[in-house]
Amino acid sequence: MVKYILRRLLISAVTIFMIITLLFTMLHSMPGSPWNDEKIKPAQKAALDAKYGLDKPLPVQFVNYTKAMLTGDFGVSYVIQKNMPITELLKVRVPISIRIGLQAVLLGSMIGLLMGIIAALRRNTFADSFTTFVSVVGVSFPSYVFALAMSYFIGYKLKLLPLLYSTSMPFVSTILPTISLCMFSMATVARFARTEMVEVMGSDYMLFADSKGISIFRLLGVHGLRNSLIPVITVLAPLMVELMAGSLVVEQIFSVPGMGSLLVYAIGFNDYNVVMALVFLLSVMIIVVTFFVDILYGIIDPRIRLAKEVGR
Amino acid sequence: MKKLRVFLALMMALVMLTSCGGQSDDTSESDSGKKVLNVGRMTELFDMDSCIATESDCLEMVSAIVEPLYYCDTNGVPTPGLAESNEVSADGKTWTFHIRENANWSNGTPVTANDFVFAWKRLVDPATAAEYAFIAEVAAIKNASPIIAGEMDKEQLGVSAKDDKTFVVELENPVPFFLNLMTFPSFCPINQEFYESVGDQYALGAENMIFCGPFIMSAWEVGGNTYQLQKNPDYYNADAIKIDEINFQIIKDVQQTMLAYENGQLDYVRLSGDLISKYQDTPGFTRIEEGYLWYLSPNLNPKSDEFKTGLENVNLRKAIALSYDKEAICNEILKDGSVPADFAIPFKLAVGPDGKDFRETANTYLATDKEKAKEYWEQAKKELGTDSVTIELLFDDSESTPLIAQYLQSEIESNLPGVKIELKSQPKKSRMELMQNREYELGLSRWGPDYADPLTYLDMWITGGTYNYGEWSNSEYDSIIEKAKIGDYPDANARWEALKKAEQLAMDDAVVFPVYQKGSAVMLRPGLTGMTFFPVGVGTIYTNVDIER
Repeated sequence: MVKYILRRLLISAVTIFMIITLLFTMLHSMPGSPWNDEKIKPAQKAALDAKYGLDKPLPVQFVNYTKAMLTGDFGVSYVIQKNMPITELLKVRVPISIRIGLQAVLLGSMIGLLMGIIAALRRNTFADSFTTFVSVVGVSFPSYVFALAMSYFIGYKLKLLPLLYSTSMPFVSTILPTISLCMFSMATVARFARTEMVEVMGSDYMLFADSKGISIFRLLGVHGLRNSLIPVITVLAPLMVELMAGSLVVEQIFSVPGMGSLLVYAIGFNDYNVVMALVFLLSVMIIVVTFFVDILYGIIDPRIRLAKEVGR
Repeated sequence: MKKLRVFLALMMALVMLTSCGGQSDDTSESDSGKKVLNVGRMTELFDMDSCIATESDCLEMVSAIVEPLYYCDTNGVPTPGLAESNEVSADGKTWTFHIRENANWSNGTPVTANDFVFAWKRLVDPATAAEYAFIAEVAAIKNASPIIAGEMDKEQLGVSAKDDKTFVVELENPVPFFLNLMTFPSFCPINQEFYESVGDQYALGAENMIFCGPFIMSAWEVGGNTYQLQKNPDYYNADAIKIDEINFQIIKDVQQTMLAYENGQLDYVRLSGDLISKYQDTPGFTRIEEGYLWYLSPNLNPKSDEFKTGLENVNLRKAIALSYDKEAICNEILKDGSVPADFAIPFKLAVGPDGKDFRETANTYLATDKEKAKEYWEQAKKELGTDSVTIELLFDDSESTPLIAQYLQSEIESNLPGVKIELKSQPKKSRMELMQNREYELGLSRWGPDYADPLTYLDMWITGGTYNYGEWSNSEYDSIIEKAKIGDYPDANARWEALKKAEQLAMDDAVVFPVYQKGSAVMLRPGLTGMTFFPVGVGTIYTNVDIER
């Protein structure tokens, strides 16, 4: 197991390095520079380039950048908040995006799971049809439709929840963005949970466990759920990162100062350092989540771990 | 049933919790008697360092918290700010400003002449790499050009502190609109001692700034979506400031902005695109002019024969310039309050010595006239000895530009049979580069003003000018501009008349074909007064804002 983890860590490190290299090359080969004003004179452009080290050959820039980054220094922003250290810029935004993303995933998967189980147990009843309906709606409607609808009805018409994000009320103002974002994961989880649960419920071991007379909670919790969770987790993992990275549209609608809008903004303005820092963070997040999901598989279903170890 | 009850109770608790939260957030004007203005913004605040700031929102904020020597009054006329008076030497090359005795920074230290000396030297210092350093060259401050180019030490800049309250500026030549330039935020003072005490953190957050303007920046969360101004009690003219607090909220979605406005959460928001026609009959709808002039630039002197089209013929130029319907472009395509441009100098850019807007007393040129366009085309055909020309129209892919280019194509082709327009779309950067290299035939371009004088436009078309894309050349024009720059006229009126003449020379020769002056619109909550908008320099001034109860 330790060997397995070490290997995974090494692979992760190499992946991140490759991502940074690729991204650096791509960003710097894009047309234009961070200095976009048509009135800047060549001499000033040169002065700006020199100030930020952009006049050096690309490989030198890359080495300097990577060196600084390894010490936790992402450099300063060139455009979005001139000369501001990027760590400061991200300090506020990253937690907000992660918070909303996690809330959405947790809420979505919990409700989804619950709906899936109920639908599986009460097959072909109203509850089942309702779940199917919600799943279809949740998967096919983009999150901004919910966001717009809720901000109009709940935020504007009924004035129940704030229309815009406010740092002074971090929980209350994340309710609407969370709900809009959770619809997709809820629908996906409900669909998968239902299908898996139906299959599991019909299996021989469930029939056997049931005939032993164990309680319904134990039957579902220990035998049923555990077996139906694997595919659910597989779809949840990438979803989680996607949501934590911040949904651009939902962030825009609720005016959430998150990562998604910052990334798009930074790309538009050629703010190299901000783009690099954000993509680096996102890559790390994806790798960490995948890493944990792999370990989680082993815990939920020991057969997976066994198979891997035998196979090695 | 029991579960349902628990659920309902939970929902009610949630609703109560959130509605309390909602109310506490709602800053109303009558709350504790404070006058509060809530403003919606599309973009984050990029920077608050007066030397570095370039974005319009930042310039507005800088000028609200650090006053320049002069500021624009509601009519756009420079009015004493931190300087209570000034003297100009007989040759117009030395300006002496007397700084107000009661002008103080928010940390208690007085505003001194050295604050200006320090800030201006920092502005031109290549190490600062200020994008707006060029404004010091426009102001012709002695030695600014070589310092910016890195050829001279910044200490050689023609500014000095005669004593604590006397600031002296030496110029290379007289600059007739020098006081106008003094209202620009790049010329704001910086307290050297404070600057050095915070080092590279200067102006990177509300705690790293000090103030001497009508407002203080009381909150600016880095990376957040709000910032706030409060009335500065130490401002020398604090009694004149009626508003106590201004909250800025960043909302990137225009629809949401309008919901927040209708909800009463915001009092002043900018409209864009379709929303302008939707709200134009609503109380509070206010049109404002922007300084941008969109125009077609014909290339008279292409780099190579491949770009030769016949546009060096003045009749062909005039034919094209009169052949398209500018009204339709503004009212059918843009629908944002833009106005047809029959001029080279936009509305509301510059006020003359008579106190009137330049456009009020100047003529109009090249107005749409399809019949006349045909006559010019007939004439051009004879002179060029051909029945048809093919011209490539270069434009960029930003905003509505492609739609306008297509419309221009159809208008020109249908009104001038024999003229064929081919469209060439490029990203903005490439479009600019092609035009600067003179590798184009006809280009759709725009220009934004840097200072409130017609020269900010007219200076473009001097022989050899960087932005004289079409390489038009006229010696009479050049000499007027040269003289107008240094004010070499008996008086301001004569200079003004000369500038009108220069516009006429350029327009009569169709150096560019004006298309429209960009407009936009805002919503102002009824009862809100004193909002002042300018198309140049600082876009919005909050000093006179008041809220009627």
